[in-house]
Amino acid sequence: MPAPASSSASGSVMRNLLRNGPFLTLLLVAIVWIGASFFSRGFGTYGHLRYILELASIIGIVAAGQTLVVIGGGIDLSVGAVITVTAITLPMLSPAWDPTGIFGIVAVLALASLIGLINGIGAAFLKVPPIIMTLAMATLLQGFLVIVAGGSAVSVENAAVIWLGSARPGGIPADILLWVAVMVGVLLLLHRTATGARFFAIGANSIAARLSGVNVERTTLLLFTLSGFFAGLAGLLVLGMNRQGYVGIGDPYLLTSIAAVVLGGTSILGGAGTYAGTIPGSVLLVTITALITVVNASPGWRNIMFGGLILILLLLSGREKQR
Amino acid sequence: MSTLSSREPLFWAVQRQRNRGVIGLFVVVIAFLALYAYLFPGLFTLGGFSKFTQNWFPLALVAMAQTLLMMMGGISLAIGPLVSLGAVIAATVMGTAFGVTGAIVAVLLAGLVVGGITGAIVSYLRLPAIIVTLAGSFIIGGIALIILPRPGGVIPAGFSDFLAGHTPAAFGLLVVIVILWKLYLATPLGLGIYAAGDNPIGAFRSGVAVNRVRIATYALSGLLTTLAGLFVAAQTGSGDPVIGTPFTLNSIAAAVLGGVSFLGGRGTMRGALAGSLLLSVMINVMFFLGFPPVAQYIAQGLIIVGAVAIPQFTGRWRRS
Repeated sequence: MPAPASSSASGSVMRNLLRNGPFLTLLLVAIVWIGASFFSRGFGTYGHLRYILELASIIGIVAAGQTLVVIGGGIDLSVGAVITVTAITLPMLSPAWDPTGIFGIVAVLALASLIGLINGIGAAFLKVPPIIMTLAMATLLQGFLVIVAGGSAVSVENAAVIWLGSARPGGIPADILLWVAVMVGVLLLLHRTATGARFFAIGANSIAARLSGVNVERTTLLLFTLSGFFAGLAGLLVLGMNRQGYVGIGDPYLLTSIAAVVLGGTSILGGAGTYAGTIPGSVLLVTITALITVVNASPGWRNIMFGGLILILLLLSGREKQR
Repeated sequence: MSTLSSREPLFWAVQRQRNRGVIGLFVVVIAFLALYAYLFPGLFTLGGFSKFTQNWFPLALVAMAQTLLMMMGGISLAIGPLVSLGAVIAATVMGTAFGVTGAIVAVLLAGLVVGGITGAIVSYLRLPAIIVTLAGSFIIGGIALIILPRPGGVIPAGFSDFLAGHTPAAFGLLVVIVILWKLYLATPLGLGIYAAGDNPIGAFRSGVAVNRVRIATYALSGLLTTLAGLFVAAQTGSGDPVIGTPFTLNSIAAAVLGGVSFLGGRGTMRGALAGSLLLSVMINVMFFLGFPPVAQYIAQGLIIVGAVAIPQFTGRWRRS
């Protein structure tokens, strides 16, 4: 039914805002933060919020690639393994002749992008469904990692990575600044370029996109390469914060990246969504984890609370359209 | 009259159609089985056959559970934790006054209830299955950890010997389950699985109770999964809250090897069973050939991609 012309403009703005996934998620984050600061002393302090944002920047950067892939109608289950690969191989790829560590970073990011590219080749040319291709890639990488690392932890000497994990230019942690740069880049790519429009097109209907002249294969390759790149970037941050890498270090980021994307209102079916929702989604996830840690329950209850809260939050932003 | 006389040929025509996609897989499975029998001639003794089928049994069950959902256009990422839940319930209840019978009832009921709730959330709250079961995997894993925080519990030796001893009881149980599946497929709820997976809106308009089909399928899938957990508990003689973890990926891998599509409406249970058998034999063969566990990961990854990519290529050659 069309709205009567007399209905106030402010009413429709309100309604649009309430239907806007990113805004709802942002509102949720604010409510949770304000609520939590009443119950838990120190939760709302500047230091704690900064720490939460630092943790969220890792999830946010992994989820940037995941958002792009999901919008393009796929899913990337190999991001956790790529983070681990980055963390394990960085010390090996950082030669002694380069004290800045830039070479190591470039080499590792190239490796992560290459893994993403192979995922893309599987999805685009071998026509393997992305969920299987990336799952198989994760299994494969796990095998290679055990060969390369042999189960022992590696510590990082790379100066640039350590700087990334600890520096605070202008009082703001470097990883948050990096996340802001990623935000700007991804949002511009998605919503202001033809390439971004192609991502949405192949996610909504890849046959229609092909018939309209979109090079579906090339776009798919780009999507998965970007996802590998962002996972590698997040791996550098993880390494910078932890100062050591071990097999399995990236595993927790797989589920959280997907959850952040869906909490942000991006449709898991592809073709609709925005990174603007994933950003508060990432912050929300880290906040929930922090809250659950504060409650000080047994590991079992912590898992139940985490899953239950995600499920409840999904009701607000992750529901499919009525049929 | 004509409908009656054409009924029998139609049945076989349908079966032929269904077998067409999986014949290549059957050939590969038989080849691997032959290789395994050559490496390990003990397969043909009663004990060897029993042990072999016991290794396959839980994987076959979770592959069936995953296939049920995938044929309906769903998926579950909570298979592993649900296997663990079945195992810990079995190991805790068997030591109490309820005994073995009570434990079996509790395990099966837990599967039905957890599956039913998942199905209800997916169909009535319209949340994507992949993310519901992702969140569900945390909740179910958490419940398993609360019931049994560390490996332990009691499984009576008699029960272990019956299911996982030197008798092919597991294989017999699998045959019974497959026959029951055939019967279920003949009911409206069973037929609805394919209809709801292929085109839910079309199925709904043709009078299929899509929501009821979904909930029943998720419940059934949960039942098969916790049953696998019960068996794993009997096999290991105790309950372990994280023992099921590898089953999530393996169930998907087996179903995909068996030619079941993620898009729903396509795939056969015989394919999924053959896929799980192939995976199980492959792991056994690599173990006997002395492959390190690492090589098994890599081989598994390559085989899964190959299993999906090769039919695509042969299909393209046939068309061109």
